[in-house]
Amino acid sequence: MTDPLQQESTTAKDLELESRPRQRFELEDTGFDEVPPRFRKFYRRWRGPGDQLAPNEVICPVCKVVIRSTRELRPGDRVYCMPCMSRLIVVRGEDGRLEARVAY
Amino acid sequence: MADFLTAYSIQNWLESCPQGYLMGTVYGHRPEDEEPAPLLENEVLREEAIRTTVQLVVGERCALAASSGLINAAPDEASKRFLATQTLDEARHVEIFTQRLLDLGVPKKDLESTIQHFANPNLVKFAEVLLEKVDKKDFVAGVVGQNIVLEGMAFSVFEMLHAVSEPTNPKFARMLSGTIADERRHVGFGENRIGSLIKQYPERKADVEKLQKEMSYWMLATFADAFRNNPARAEFKRIEGELSRAGVHAEWQGVDLLTKDPEEMEQILADTVLKEFKTRLSRIGIEYQTPDRP
Ligand SMILES: [Fe+2]
Ligand SMILES: [Fe+2]
Ligand SMILES: [Zn+2]
Repeated sequence: MTDPLQQESTTAKDLELESRPRQRFELEDTGFDEVPPRFRKFYRRWRGPGDQLAPNEVICPVCKVVIRSTRELRPGDRVYCMPCMSRLIVVRGEDGRLEARVAY
Repeated sequence: MADFLTAYSIQNWLESCPQGYLMGTVYGHRPEDEEPAPLLENEVLREEAIRTTVQLVVGERCALAASSGLINAAPDEASKRFLATQTLDEARHVEIFTQRLLDLGVPKKDLESTIQHFANPNLVKFAEVLLEKVDKKDFVAGVVGQNIVLEGMAFSVFEMLHAVSEPTNPKFARMLSGTIADERRHVGFGENRIGSLIKQYPERKADVEKLQKEMSYWMLATFADAFRNNPARAEFKRIEGELSRAGVHAEWQGVDLLTKDPEEMEQILADTVLKEFKTRLSRIGIEYQTPDRP
């Protein structure tokens, strides 16, 4: 398993969302060299507050790297941040955008 | 808990760090990169670069003493092994920033006296508060002080320095990006390990909160000296203006640092770091204490 999306959510509140298939994404190497080569396309540097995230992306709150999956991310998903080795859960933030919470 | 710690292995560290982003570097930068001539030729700027680099050496020496000291205080094997990798990271940071002092023209024989001369007394205090906990083998306070407060601060300072150096000094920028990559692991360990430990020892909270408040005060006092009270601020402003007019930008936290006064830069840095402390601490169940303003 190399994709940072390790487990897709299956919670009831997302059933409506889950009935629509997840978008797929083709990932390219973004020059992020902090992880071994085979994992590099799954991460990119965050360019600061103006940086727009795609539906398959979420910021790691611990180390501020953008985590990228080949699949669209949804609330309840479990993702892994390799640069800081945190396990995260995707949630819907107050502003409606996807955020990640650390799972201790 | 034991499960997440398996990722913090020496094998993992070897693959991502020495065999990864540090491959081919010499003292943390590409072999062909040098300190830029306009910096070496301008006495005010060169002294400022020395002063800044000395603070990095002081901070990294503290991190080296803390991470190595915490190995013997750690309650489990996996944490000990992670801290051993962190110890080597910190020793490397001490080494590359010390090498930069030499590259900036500090004679080898004057290295220690130069560090003594420029070391900010407030930063020295900051380090002492942390190392006192480490000396007492207080693992919980030691990890919060080191991996959340010290490294949380270092993370933002390095990022800010990186933003300014990227367009002006590729050698220093590369040294910083490798250091930032190391810091990601360190803050990750701090949060993940302490998040579970605080749940186990809630009675330690008050002590840890006091430590954070105290360290934050010395940190803010250090920032004040670095920006507001900096003797080279007029020259800084002049160079910034020159770069800005030449179309150079240094974006960080959504602002172009080259258009900001030293006071404004201090404010942006302090606000960023304190905001980070607050969110990081609240994630692990510790209440952030607002420090006094120096
Ligand atoms: Fe360090
Ligand atoms: Fe560190
Ligand atoms: Zn991370």
